[in-house]
Amino acid sequence: MKSYALKPFLKYISRKFIFLLVTYFIAITIVFILPRAIPGNPLSTLLRQIFQQGQANPELIRSVHKTLMEEFGLGKPWYEQYIDFVTRAFRGDFGTSISSYPKKTLELIIPVMPWTLMLLIPSIITAWIIGNTLGAIAGYKRGSFTDRFTLNFSLIVSQIPYYWLGMLLIFTLSVKLHIFPGQGGYSQGTIPTFTLKFILDMLYHYILPFLSIVISALGGWAIGTRVLVIYELDADYVNFGELLGLKEKTVFRYIFRNSILPQVTGLALSLGGALGGALITEIIFNYPGTGYLLFRALSTLDYPLIQGIFIILIGSIYLANFFVDFLYALIDPRIRLGQSEGS
Amino acid sequence: MNRPVLQIENARAYYIVENNYVRAIDDISIVIREGEVVGIVGESGSGKTTLSNVMLMNIKRPLSLIDGKVKLYSNGNVIELNKLSREELQKNIWGKETSIIPQSAMNALMPTKKIKDSILDVMKTHFEEIHEKEIIEKVQARFEEVGISKDVIFRYPFELSGGMKQRAVIAIATLLNPRFLIADEPTSALDVSTQKMVLKTIQDLREKEIVKSIAFITHDIATVRQIAETLVVMYAGKIVEISSIEDIIKEPLHPYTRGLLFSVVTPEPEVKKRGIYYIPGTPPNLMYPPPGCRFHPRCEYKLDICDKEEPKLKDVNGRKVACFLY
Repeated sequence: MKSYALKPFLKYISRKFIFLLVTYFIAITIVFILPRAIPGNPLSTLLRQIFQQGQANPELIRSVHKTLMEEFGLGKPWYEQYIDFVTRAFRGDFGTSISSYPKKTLELIIPVMPWTLMLLIPSIITAWIIGNTLGAIAGYKRGSFTDRFTLNFSLIVSQIPYYWLGMLLIFTLSVKLHIFPGQGGYSQGTIPTFTLKFILDMLYHYILPFLSIVISALGGWAIGTRVLVIYELDADYVNFGELLGLKEKTVFRYIFRNSILPQVTGLALSLGGALGGALITEIIFNYPGTGYLLFRALSTLDYPLIQGIFIILIGSIYLANFFVDFLYALIDPRIRLGQSEGS
Repeated sequence: MNRPVLQIENARAYYIVENNYVRAIDDISIVIREGEVVGIVGESGSGKTTLSNVMLMNIKRPLSLIDGKVKLYSNGNVIELNKLSREELQKNIWGKETSIIPQSAMNALMPTKKIKDSILDVMKTHFEEIHEKEIIEKVQARFEEVGISKDVIFRYPFELSGGMKQRAVIAIATLLNPRFLIADEPTSALDVSTQKMVLKTIQDLREKEIVKSIAFITHDIATVRQIAETLVVMYAGKIVEISSIEDIIKEPLHPYTRGLLFSVVTPEPEVKKRGIYYIPGTPPNLMYPPPGCRFHPRCEYKLDICDKEEPKLKDVNGRKVACFLY
């Protein structure tokens, strides 16, 4: 039985992996084209900054320009630049930052990545679990007080803009009541270390941005799952199961398992979408993540840094999707085994 | 006459829709006896499926049992199902005493679980302690009895063909040897050769005394005559005729039964001669059923009394018919 189930599964996963590589290639191509389609030259921005700082020596400027042209490879024909860029992108090298020259973009991105991942992955998953459970209970008890309460609560919560909720949380719990700190990933003046004191301090700062994402996301999940569950309530297997005497608990488990499937795809999309959303959350909370770094890169027109962040964000969204596909194949046998039916 | 297994007395079951009633089952009484296969026929919308829900007391909103009794005879005891709560029915009756082969067996199995696991869930509901290996052996034996490979239980429902799925559903529905089984249009989604196989399987259930009696619900008289002895003809929430199947085929009494019988298309020469027949008109809206006999607007033999008084079921030569012609 084992090999029977395993082979299509491996095939499914390897197919997904090839697809992942192809889409990653397309994505870095777009990331290559887009900045070059914007009128203007990132170097002139940098050179103008040098001008404005009063260093108007033409000799110096010419040599700086020459170094930068070489450094960023802008003198080469576009196809060489492209091949350069793609090969370097697959090796994980995204060039040098302009605003923080001569630091490599990766040196800037990698230290902030854990902060964003730490903020987003737990909060999105928490919202997903709480929201889906609430929605499933409401849908299963359709028309009851629990249902009406959950639906109204979810509708209100899901319509609150997350950035406004973030500001509201800062205003009430931080500025007025002084319960939680309103900004930063940790107390100012401390250095990130692996001590209990620092971790507790970090968690303390973590609560508000975490809450702002969880609360604003769970309503949408609850509403969606409620509808999916209601659709499923009249399914033939539910009626048959009930008339065989299945316990309510078991029937609920069946319904939950089947109606949650589309929401797993939704989870992948939201892991991707929320990375963009975290930009504003991180700005509001002054949180040292990739979103905040991107905000800085955008405001200084640091194209290599913007490119680098985008490629990494795209890459992580793909990985999330890949992981969810993998999960999907685990929880839905129709996907896993269906692959072998055609052949 | 054999002992009764299930008895319905003057049942009225209405769907409550916006302060109005849809009279899907209106004053129906039926007795189903041990060893009997009762066919229940009628057009779509005649209340057949509602009747099957009433028989099991599977009453969910908006359906409501307004009046009447549903009695199950179990080892000399009479259980009034209409007095039990849903939890009690689920715990003590459904799956054990009664069971159903549902209308759409195609989707009746939990789609994301192996059949074995769905079966174990049912067993865990009814028994506090289960021995997995023992149960699987028993289940596999039952699967072979209904004519499918015992390995099917290790598969997922979507890996089975329609006929296999239907028979797997039959095997699962009868695992605990229920006294009374409802087969609700079990063959309507199958091709003709598979239909025959499924009918044979259902016949075997009774011959091997896996179940005591069967209510076979269908719109297709041609199917039901192969399996049932008694036929109950329903029209618009009422019973219009109860008879043995031979009598009905030989001489249908109620005009509706006649129409239903003549609409059967068979390859026999007389059918070709008389052409394709259908009953003119459509079944009435059961929110506002016509006065008197509910069939009178479509009836070729309508009398003056038909739209004024409601015909009661009466005995005609040992048969029962609700029509003023007799």
